[in-house]
Amino acid sequence: MQKLQKDTLIGICAQMASHSWSDAEINELVDPQLGIITGFQDLLNELEQLRKIDLGTTPPAMSVQGANPND
Amino acid sequence: MTDNIAFKDVRSLKQLISGGQITPAELVDVFAERIDRHNAVSKAFITPTIEAAKRQAAGLSRDELGESPFAGVPYASKDLFDVQGVLTTAGSRVFHDRVAKSDAYAVAKLRAAHAISLGKTNLHEFAYGATGENEFYGTCVNAYDPTRLAGGSSSGSAAAVAFGLVPAALGTDTGGSVRAPAALNGLVGLKPTIGRVPTSGVVPYCWTLDHVGLMTRTIADCADLLRIVAGYDSSDPASVNRPVDNYSDALGQDVSSLRIGIPKNFYYERADDEILAALESVKEYLVVAGAILVPVALPDMEHSRTVSLTVQMPEALSAHSAYVQQRGDLYGADFRAGLALGQCILAEHYVKAKRFVEVYRQETNKLFDDVDLILTPATPEIAQKVGTVKVARNGVNEAIGNAITRYTTFFNMTGHPALTMPCAMHSEGLPIGLQLVGRYFDEMTVLRAAHAIERSGRFSIPLPSLGL
Repeated sequence: MQKLQKDTLIGICAQMASHSWSDAEINELVDPQLGIITGFQDLLNELEQLRKIDLGTTPPAMSVQGANPND
Repeated sequence: MTDNIAFKDVRSLKQLISGGQITPAELVDVFAERIDRHNAVSKAFITPTIEAAKRQAAGLSRDELGESPFAGVPYASKDLFDVQGVLTTAGSRVFHDRVAKSDAYAVAKLRAAHAISLGKTNLHEFAYGATGENEFYGTCVNAYDPTRLAGGSSSGSAAAVAFGLVPAALGTDTGGSVRAPAALNGLVGLKPTIGRVPTSGVVPYCWTLDHVGLMTRTIADCADLLRIVAGYDSSDPASVNRPVDNYSDALGQDVSSLRIGIPKNFYYERADDEILAALESVKEYLVVAGAILVPVALPDMEHSRTVSLTVQMPEALSAHSAYVQQRGDLYGADFRAGLALGQCILAEHYVKAKRFVEVYRQETNKLFDDVDLILTPATPEIAQKVGTVKVARNGVNEAIGNAITRYTTFFNMTGHPALTMPCAMHSEGLPIGLQLVGRYFDEMTVLRAAHAIERSGRFSIPLPSLGL
């Protein structure tokens, strides 16, 4: 996976169905300064690791009803 | 006199009311005066509703005052909860004109219990973020040190109780937003089992991780409040239709023979030494009191923060899609950046994250075959200075929002009930908290152990001097 470029995000937002994001907001994804979110590059790196983990037939989480064997 | 009353727990206030030593109307006056005195510093309330509170208090009959443990007692709710006829700002300019047409489920239950709403409390905009910083309504500060953060996102609810402006408050908890600020402010914070308290009438942040949470001074008040707001609402898809326990039955019991899991991984790593030492003291007490400590291995946490974020941001963007288009310029910078991140997460990533959540649920649930509870620190750090961006610990720099919620986020994904409570004071004069996690819908055991710890008297902390 190549390193994320700011221009890539600008392209995605311009060329795919997307809300309009300002230059500052795209900058925050590439170089976070607000102390809230993980940098998008870091997130992508983690997501790439997650993608490679085989979860078999595990479905997405839904309600906790019925999930409790102690009931 | 009024300051002493303001820091009493709900059960003590009820005794004063029952004994004729104070009326609900006089109680409202006490807290209204304190809000007037402390809100400029604490920034706890966005919309106090004092006049409505006075009218309600004046109209309560003696019979009504006997109907519930909260009858005649003021409380506050995070400004995500709808209260009929009152603004629900969600801490944002986006909702500057949104007047609620009806009560949120929990608010309606409290209204039926004759509790008195004193108003709506501040928060991180739309509950996005654990620092509680809010560029429009101000940043809530810590009652123990006003140069420090109250923490968030239920920052105003925590500050309101910690400053003695109300004895209890409602918040929401998507990654620790009740438990973490409660811990940082020396309060009890409970995130019940997902589905135990309906989220109907609460502005959503992330539908599948949002929980209604409670903040109180004591475990008994927490048990009483949970009994009132727990229930079922078919309009909330996560709501679970099962009987509500009488949680006060959990009070006064000991912890003998309780099996308490102590995580071998993640939860006792990279934390303030004094926090770890405080937890050791709690463990020692539990053993002496007859509990059995069992080392447990929680699921691999390496990716848990990423999994949570990958669920949160696309859901938040979806929830806000219409508003972003209509009023996008009214959002704060940090939340808009988060929503932009949600825009760039692929659908496969979201579904994979949801599958990880299911793995976390199944693996954590298995742990409860061998233990009754899990004990962890509430937070790895004490309240940090206002304006802090990153926290350094053991050579790792971590965004402050991630650090505040590092020990709480996981249990929003699994949905297990989790409670934080104070257990020590740090040498810097700030509270340290612990976290107890229980089986699905077994808030009783969580409250049982928490009350035993509280009742032991070994872990009580002083009131904040600033709030007096």
